[in-house]
Amino acid sequence: MSIERSMKQFEDDRKEAVKIAARLLLASATTTPRVGGVGECTIHILDDECKIEDLCQAVEKMAKENERWSFFTRDAMMLRDADAVLIVTSLRCYTDPADTNCNMCGKLTCEYLKESEKFPDEPGIAYKGPLCIFRANNIGYAIDGIVSLARNLGIDYGVFWSAGAAAMRMGIVPKNTGFCLAVGISVTEKSPFRDIPLKYDEINERTMNDRIIKRLWPQFRSIYS
Amino acid sequence: MPAIEMNELIQNGLNRAVELMALAAYNSFKFGKRNTIKMVSLSIDDLKEIAEFCYSLGDMSPLAARDGRFVMELVKEPHAVLLIGDKRKSDFNYNCGACGYRTCAELNKAEEVEALTARGPSCQFKNININIAAGAAASMAWRLGLHCRVFSTIAFAAFALNKLEGIDIATSVAVSAAKVDPFFDRHQYWTKEHWDEIFAKEFPTFTRGFFGAIEE
Repeated sequence: MSIERSMKQFEDDRKEAVKIAARLLLASATTTPRVGGVGECTIHILDDECKIEDLCQAVEKMAKENERWSFFTRDAMMLRDADAVLIVTSLRCYTDPADTNCNMCGKLTCEYLKESEKFPDEPGIAYKGPLCIFRANNIGYAIDGIVSLARNLGIDYGVFWSAGAAAMRMGIVPKNTGFCLAVGISVTEKSPFRDIPLKYDEINERTMNDRIIKRLWPQFRSIYS
Repeated sequence: MPAIEMNELIQNGLNRAVELMALAAYNSFKFGKRNTIKMVSLSIDDLKEIAEFCYSLGDMSPLAARDGRFVMELVKEPHAVLLIGDKRKSDFNYNCGACGYRTCAELNKAEEVEALTARGPSCQFKNININIAAGAAASMAWRLGLHCRVFSTIAFAAFALNKLEGIDIATSVAVSAAKVDPFFDRHQYWTKEHWDEIFAKEFPTFTRGFFGAIEE
């Protein structure tokens, strides 16, 4: 399909803006507070369409594992519209409790948490808890680091736990990751994360294009030319 | 119009800043499209009580004692502390497993464990929501040019002293308009002898030339 050169230039520059913005958001998330001042979060950028598609397929696959996760298919379709996905991890919440005896996990001391059995790696389990909640809270700060700067930069964002859990399943985050969330970002005129129809996994721009333009138009052209 | 003194200007600005921080926290992103967080700005009397409580925990927690001494100094200059909390049970129905229970229903039915710092077990996403709110408040404070630090210690003490009704988990954001940033490089709260003694105990090999050397 022919597109004017200036339009192509706009598309190239838009994609470049996404790459720059994603890295600035990573910087903002990295410098947010950490409980006890101990670093433990990593942030990973997926700005390649194929890698985002792999993640979306993993999210869709997980949707079938637990009856409460039916919304994962809708999340996956929204993430397909994202220009980049940032994945935020907490590395210590699984293996290294904070030793504050904070009781947020319901164990009076961190020693009890260390001794408690974790969930096995099996379908229907997103995070292998019990985790050190005090440590995993760092992800809250990191997510706000991304959201706060995205708002300042005028970048659209959506926060998804489904994609975080799927990234852990795919093994694309460090192996000690216990808890993981994802933020999709978009540099487009209409945010793909807002005004989403309830059946968005079935009715969306892709399926509308496929059913109406790509299917009907060639037939119309063949018949009426 | 009469002139407004500098001290009054700063205190008024700080009061307004805390309102804006609370607003940013209230409006921050939250999982589950639920806004169940509770907030309160602590008074100077509350903070003095918190400081004494933290200091009294000295035998159990040197860090709490340090923060107790720190809060006593913090309140001498223009300051504010925003306490943010929420209930511990899950109303998300995510069944994610992070809390150590297979379903949210199991977590909600589990026996409640009381402690000075929080009531557990608590939903991971409830915790993430209050910490995103704390991040939004801190982000607003940063934009307003305030000295700022997120404190778990103050929040734990405020929880123990029941400074905010109807919460099980808490965090706090402290801000200050002191002449010098009071929140970092707080060496004055430790004596040099104490610091040297603890460092030698915690990192015994640091000053040894050879790792096989025997301690005297």
